[in-house]
Amino acid sequence: MNLEKVVFGFFVLLAATLNFGFFIGDIDRPELHNRYELFAAVIVNLIATVLKFGDRTQIGAVHLATSLVASLQLVAAALMYGYAEYVSTAGMTPGWTASVVSVAGGALLANLVSVVLLVIETVSFHRG
Amino acid sequence: MGNPLLTFWARHGRREEEERRARRARLLAAAASANRASETIFLILRRMRAPLIVLVAIFSVSVLGLTLIPGQDDEGRPFDMGFFDAIYVMSYTATTIGFGEIPYPFTYNQRMWVTISIYLTVVGWAYAIGSLLGLLQDRAFRSALALQRFTRKVARLAEPFVLIAGYGRAGELLGHSMDALGRRVVVLDRNDERIDGLELESYRGDVAGLAADARDPGHLGVAGLDHPCCEAVVALTDDDEANLAVVMTTALLRPDIPVIARATTHVMAERMRVFGSPSVVNPFDLFGDHVQLALRAPASYQLLTWLESGPGAPLPPRASPPRSGRWVVCGYGRLGRELTADLRAEGIDVTVIDPSPHDDADDVVVAGGYESGVLAAVGLEEAVGFVAGTDNDITNLSLVETARRANPDLFLAARQNRPSSAPLFAAMELDALLVPTEEIAHEVYAQLSTPLLWRFLRAMPALGDDWAAALVDRLTALCGQHLQALWKVRLTEREAPALTPWLASGEARLGSLLRNPEDRDEPLHAVPLLLLRGDDATLAPGPDHVLAPGDELLLAGWPAARRALEIILLVDAAREYVVTGRRVPSGWLWRRVRGIPTVSEESEEAGPRPTAPTPS
Repeated sequence: MNLEKVVFGFFVLLAATLNFGFFIGDIDRPELHNRYELFAAVIVNLIATVLKFGDRTQIGAVHLATSLVASLQLVAAALMYGYAEYVSTAGMTPGWTASVVSVAGGALLANLVSVVLLVIETVSFHRG
Repeated sequence: MGNPLLTFWARHGRREEEERRARRARLLAAAASANRASETIFLILRRMRAPLIVLVAIFSVSVLGLTLIPGQDDEGRPFDMGFFDAIYVMSYTATTIGFGEIPYPFTYNQRMWVTISIYLTVVGWAYAIGSLLGLLQDRAFRSALALQRFTRKVARLAEPFVLIAGYGRAGELLGHSMDALGRRVVVLDRNDERIDGLELESYRGDVAGLAADARDPGHLGVAGLDHPCCEAVVALTDDDEANLAVVMTTALLRPDIPVIARATTHVMAERMRVFGSPSVVNPFDLFGDHVQLALRAPASYQLLTWLESGPGAPLPPRASPPRSGRWVVCGYGRLGRELTADLRAEGIDVTVIDPSPHDDADDVVVAGGYESGVLAAVGLEEAVGFVAGTDNDITNLSLVETARRANPDLFLAARQNRPSSAPLFAAMELDALLVPTEEIAHEVYAQLSTPLLWRFLRAMPALGDDWAAALVDRLTALCGQHLQALWKVRLTEREAPALTPWLASGEARLGSLLRNPEDRDEPLHAVPLLLLRGDDATLAPGPDHVLAPGDELLLAGWPAARRALEIILLVDAAREYVVTGRRVPSGWLWRRVRGIPTVSEESEEAGPRPTAPTPS
C-alpha cells in the first residue's frame, strides 16, 4: 500500500463528495445549501489541486486540469455567496442561491471527471 | 538489380533514409535536453506541495474557528462572524499586517483563538515563502532556467553562427576575432565561471553561453547543432576525448557542416578523421611546421602570422632562426617531439634534454636542464638555438634565463602554458614564443573567417620568401604596422551589378578597378591577396590581371577602401568614372537628357538588385 496514493485518493474523493453535498437540494432554497460545506469543498479542492502539482504523466496533467477547473468554479461560487451575503442589500435571494449552486454544480462535474480518472488509473495499474 | 532505374531508386531511397535517420536523431537529442529542463521545473512544483498544503490547512482551520466561535456586536448582542469577515481578518493577521478587530471588538473567546491562529499562520507563511525562496536559489532550478533561456536565445538566432564547444583561452580568442568580423557565436563550456565571465567581456553581438558538458549530444542539440543557421562547429575543450565526442556527434547528426577540432596527439587526430572529414588542429604540430617555415622562409612566416592574427594585429618581427649549427631542445613531450622531428627533417643537429629517458630518440641527455653543468655539458656555448618546451612556465623561464647567461647570442624560443605568465615571457624578449592556445585560435580563425584566406595561407609558402617579403612591404606601405580590414568580394551579378557589362567586355583589368572613386588618379588603399576563378587561385594578382564574371577576390586594406569598393561595385556612375574617367550623371533626369539608359531600365533585365553585398 502506498500512503501517497491513499492521501491522494482520499482528497480527490472527499472533494467530490463535499461538492456533491453542497450541490444537492432544491436549487433556489438557501437553507438547503450549507455554507460550511461550501467552505470545506473549497479547502479540500485546493489541497487536491496542490497534491497534483508536479506529476509528469499524461493522466497527471489531466488530473491537474480538472482540479484547477473545480477549484476555480468553487472559488467563484464562494465569491458570489459572499457578494450576496455582504454586499447585495437583498441578501440570499432564490436567484442568487440558484447562481451559486449552479456554479458549484459545474465544479461537481469537474470533480466527477477527477474521480473517473482516478478509477481509470487504478484499473489500468497492473501489478508486476 | 538488372534495371538501372530500380538501382537509382534504391540508392535514392537509401540516401533519404539516412537523412531521415539523422534528422530523427537530432530531434531526439535536443528533446532529451529540453525534457531535462522541464523535469527540474516539475520537481520544484512537487517540492512546493508540502508548504502549500500546510498553508491551506492552517488557513482553513483558523478561518473555520473564527466563524464557529460566538462573538458580540457593540451593543452586546450575539454576533456570528461570517466567512468573509473571517477570511479578511485571517488574511491580514497571517501576513502580519494587523488591521485590528473587525467588524466589532472580539470577545475573549475569539481573542484566544486568534492568538493561536497568529502563531500558526505566521509559521505557515514563513515556511511557504522560505521554501519558495530556497527553491529559487536551488542550483538545479537555476541551471534549468538558464538552459531554457539559452535554448530560446539559440532558437531565435536568424543569422549564421559558429558553435564553439570549450570556451578556454583559445575559445575566447576565437570568439573575439569572430565577433570582430561581425559573426555570431554560441558557446558551450563545462566551467560555470567561464560562462558567467561571458557577460563581463565586451562582445558586440549577444553571445549565448551554456555551462554544460559538450560530450552530451543533447547539449550540442540545444546549442544549435540542429539549427539551420549553424555554419560550423569548433571543438576546443582541453580534453581530447571530449573533442572527439563533439566531432562524432556532429558527423552523425549534422554531416553537412564543417567541424574543426583540437587534438594534441596523432592517435587522437586519426580517431577524429574516421568521422567524416573534420579539420584537426594540433598546436604542437602546427608550431613545428611554423618553425620549419620560419627556418626556410622568414618573410613567409611573418606574413602568415600577421594575416592569421586578424584585423588590428601589429606586424610581427621577422625572426630568422639560425640554420647552421646545433639546437638544444629542453623537454621531450608533445611539443619537443614534434619540434625535434621538424628540425631534424631540415637537416639540423638537435640535442634533447629531458628528465626521463627516451629510447625512440637519438641524442637525449637525461636531466632537468637547470642543474649546474648540464647546459655546459651539452655544449650550449657552441649551439645556435635553444628551446624551453616543458609544460611548466616557471621551469621554461628559468631555463631560458640560464641559457642566455651561458650564451648571449643564442636564438631563444619558449613555450608559454598559462595566460597569466604572459607579462614575464614578454619581459624576457624571446626570439620566438609558442602559446598553444593562441596558435589554435589563429589557425581556426584562418579557416573560419573566409575560405579564401585559408586558401591563400596554404598556397603562399610555395611562392618563396622574396615574394612574401615584397607582399609584406606592399602591405606595410599601405596599412602601416597594423593589419586593417580583410574582406572578400564576389564579382557576381548579385553583388557587383554595376560591373556586369564591363566584366563581360573581356577588357576588365584589376588595376583599373582599384582606384579611388573620388579621384581616379589615386589608387584604392587595398591590396588584392587572392583571386579565385572556379577552382583556380591566383595569389596577389597584378593590375593587368583580367577579371571575369563570377570571380572572387580577397583584399586587405583600409576599411574606407572597402566602402569605396562597395560603391564602385554597386553604383554605375562610380564604376564608369573609375574605369574610364568619364563623369556620367547618376540622376534619372540628367540621364534622360543625355540619352543614357536609366538604372531602372538596366536592372529590369538584370533582375532584382540587392542593396548591399552579402557579408562573406
